[in-house]
Amino acid sequence: MMVNKSVVILFGTESGNAEFAAEDMAAEVLDRPVEVIDMSDFDVNSFSHENLYLIICSTHGEGDLPSGAMPLHEALESVNPDLTGIQYAMFGLGDSSYENYSKGSEHIDRKLSALGATRVGEYGRHDADTGTLPSALAVKWAKAILGAN
Amino acid sequence: MAQDSIPSVAIVGAGPSGCYLAQFLRKEFNESRITIFDTLPVPYGLVRFGVAPDHVGTKAVAVQFDRLFERDCVEFIGNTEIGKDKTLNELMNDYDIVVLATGLGGDRKINIPGEQLRGVFGAGRVTRLINSHPFETLDELEVGSHLAIIGHGNVAIDLLRLSLLEPEQLAQHGVDKDLADVIAPNTLSQIHVIGRSAIQDAKFDPAMIRELSRIPNVRFTSDAENFSVDNAEAKKRIEVINSLVASSTVNATRTVNFYFGWQPLEICGSTKVEKVRFKSNTDEILELRADAIYSAIGFEQAKDAAIQIETLISKDSDLEHGFIFEGLYCVGWLRRGPQGTIPVNRTDAKKISERIIQDFREKNLVKVRE
Repeated sequence: MMVNKSVVILFGTESGNAEFAAEDMAAEVLDRPVEVIDMSDFDVNSFSHENLYLIICSTHGEGDLPSGAMPLHEALESVNPDLTGIQYAMFGLGDSSYENYSKGSEHIDRKLSALGATRVGEYGRHDADTGTLPSALAVKWAKAILGAN
Repeated sequence: MAQDSIPSVAIVGAGPSGCYLAQFLRKEFNESRITIFDTLPVPYGLVRFGVAPDHVGTKAVAVQFDRLFERDCVEFIGNTEIGKDKTLNELMNDYDIVVLATGLGGDRKINIPGEQLRGVFGAGRVTRLINSHPFETLDELEVGSHLAIIGHGNVAIDLLRLSLLEPEQLAQHGVDKDLADVIAPNTLSQIHVIGRSAIQDAKFDPAMIRELSRIPNVRFTSDAENFSVDNAEAKKRIEVINSLVASSTVNATRTVNFYFGWQPLEICGSTKVEKVRFKSNTDEILELRADAIYSAIGFEQAKDAAIQIETLISKDSDLEHGFIFEGLYCVGWLRRGPQGTIPVNRTDAKKISERIIQDFREKNLVKVRE
């Protein structure tokens, strides 16, 4: 058995819904250290093999990144860190009543993959058109990811 | 004493700006008494009464705010209008920090002749009515067959979309059944949507226009001329209107006409509105039949708002950071004007919370009380 990695939950938000879900996910992680970090405050040089990254990111406008995720995306682009061996799981927020549903998180996903990181588990998604917040679904998703990783 | 360094906070207005501010302040002031006052018996302001009822994803942000009151020990006091039921001075005596988050609840006037005619309605009033606002009644609302919506912002597009839904769809989203028949009557055959900006400068979000293409039995037209622009945002607006027009049903029984670049001149009618006239920047005249008009050209401070912010501002105020005078702040639309969606007000609340926290650290702000 592998030793459980520590969990870092990175959120990229516009309305606060992704942060809200990130905090709810963190509250459910009881078996290992967990930290919740706003993507806007995250240093791309600090990606570590000892962590499993749970990433939750919303969609803004026409399938764009939320403003809270832009600094991270830009930093990944400019710093170009080698993320080989870094493991992450992705959960996207969106609203299917608009086109480009849930596309925001995919910008981050593509960037991380291109830099060598490996996505684990199912790509989670929540549709705001259901009138619910993503928390419950995100918690369920996180439990499944952590159960297998 | 340690207890003296815990400031109490009153927020006036339980809309998105006030609630976001409470979230940010609660993170810093764990033990503070934080109270949000509102004129209405229920919180969330624009989330509840301004967001269109079919935009359930946008309304869901209320669940975030629920937690303030359910878990984070923020207190809600409704049915209390500060400046009327309780003066601002009394409130400032009771709390160390007071933040005005009352928004801009008044419909901006077009200021043209005929605006007072029966059949002309501010978009904010209509939106509140649709959302069952307790103080709003529009007994005389009758849309007829021709509706004119003045404005091209997202509020105008919301009202356009809601007018085109089936009354049953509106009712499914919680709109009163009788009202749904008034808002989206089956008599409605023509909707004109007129804005003063050219298409490339129109205020709508393209996603709002794309959403319209799902509505059946509507022919969309536009008087915008085809031309090319460099600006990506402008290009998107042109493309989204063109594609809506191109993909719409030609032989539909309802028509929606977009007019760009027309400035309202006058509303005409004997006892109620009958038509509305516009002028282009080349002095061409456009005259449209209208049985009812929604004016959706923006918001301003309501004339009857109990607190008028300009009476509080002095040269020492720093509105850029929400500072009015020591102990008094403002946030959201009231601070910076009626632009920006709900998330933009989160960013605003964060910025103002930082100023408040900084002032607290530097000047304490906790009042000495008997």
